[in-house]
Amino acid sequence: MKRLLPSLRAKKRYLAFELISEEPASRSDIVKEVISSASSLLGDVTTSNCDIKVLGFEKGKGIIQCSHTKVKETRASMAALTRINGKRATLHVLGTSGTVKGATEKFLQN
Amino acid sequence: MGKPKFYDFCVHAAPDGDSTIEELVSLAQHFGYSGIVLAEYSDKLPGKKAALPLIEGFEVFRGIELVEETPSKLHGLIGKFRNSTDVLIVHGGSEAINRAALENPRVDILNHPAFEKSSGLNQVLAKAAADNGVAIGITLRSLLHSRGSRRIRMLSDLRANLELARKYEVPLVLCSDAMSCFDLRAPMEILAFAEVCGFEEDEALDAISTVPERILKKNRPGPGYIREGVEVLEGEDIF
Repeated sequence: MKRLLPSLRAKKRYLAFELISEEPASRSDIVKEVISSASSLLGDVTTSNCDIKVLGFEKGKGIIQCSHTKVKETRASMAALTRINGKRATLHVLGTSGTVKGATEKFLQN
Repeated sequence: MGKPKFYDFCVHAAPDGDSTIEELVSLAQHFGYSGIVLAEYSDKLPGKKAALPLIEGFEVFRGIELVEETPSKLHGLIGKFRNSTDVLIVHGGSEAINRAALENPRVDILNHPAFEKSSGLNQVLAKAAADNGVAIGITLRSLLHSRGSRRIRMLSDLRANLELARKYEVPLVLCSDAMSCFDLRAPMEILAFAEVCGFEEDEALDAISTVPERILKKNRPGPGYIREGVEVLEGEDIF
């Protein structure tokens, strides 16, 4: 199928985050917990509008993608995450950017 | 206008909570706070006071959370602890205690006012809170940790209190009420969460920076302070 024109594609924001937790977690654990905390806090309708995706996650840091109008809601649902696999954990947003490259360069490289 | 300073006004370190003072302080500093208040529960005070760490560019304040069931004993405790602590918090939870706390101008914050089927505030108490400058504390730990019907109840209580606070101009304080370092949240996350829960952007910002700063200023007056309204100013060309 032909790809959507750039001007028609949904605009996004990329949140660089770090995981602070009792035990290390994998990307799929984070995906599961973020979506479940978002659907519990915001409801399924708003969560679908947020368009939350966990792009990459390694060494305790990663990038979450969301709709550019729903950054606040996404942050709130990341704050509402308290446990991953039953172990206490929290996600700390390091910063937001309009591109993956920007988020990586600004917040993930030391 | 410079960058706002953020404060977390209710953090419980060991032995009440799970994390040590050092862990909480370093994480709060990493999150971008300017200071935190270490609150101890008055009904399980340790024998001696823990020393507060001194860190450059970060302030650690001594707080106390009074847990008491009779108003007369509460007033006694307020008198006992007022001068030795920076921030005095009352753990509400019954009509009598909420009322006693909000009518006493020496109290800084009332936390957990909700009980049974009430949000804990009404127009009478809200007016008293505004007159006496007692802030209502909104604690995030219970909101973050519960789900479903419990959280729905708490959020509707919060909304009811928010309406009253707007109408009577009661100060609000957002705090984490953290029992361990995993309960701490960065200021921006707290702001986002508060806005999702019904706060306006500037209300949330006030509740995490301006109101705490005002409380600290009241309790830690400058060097020339004599009494309310009377202050010795330094410098020669005042007149």
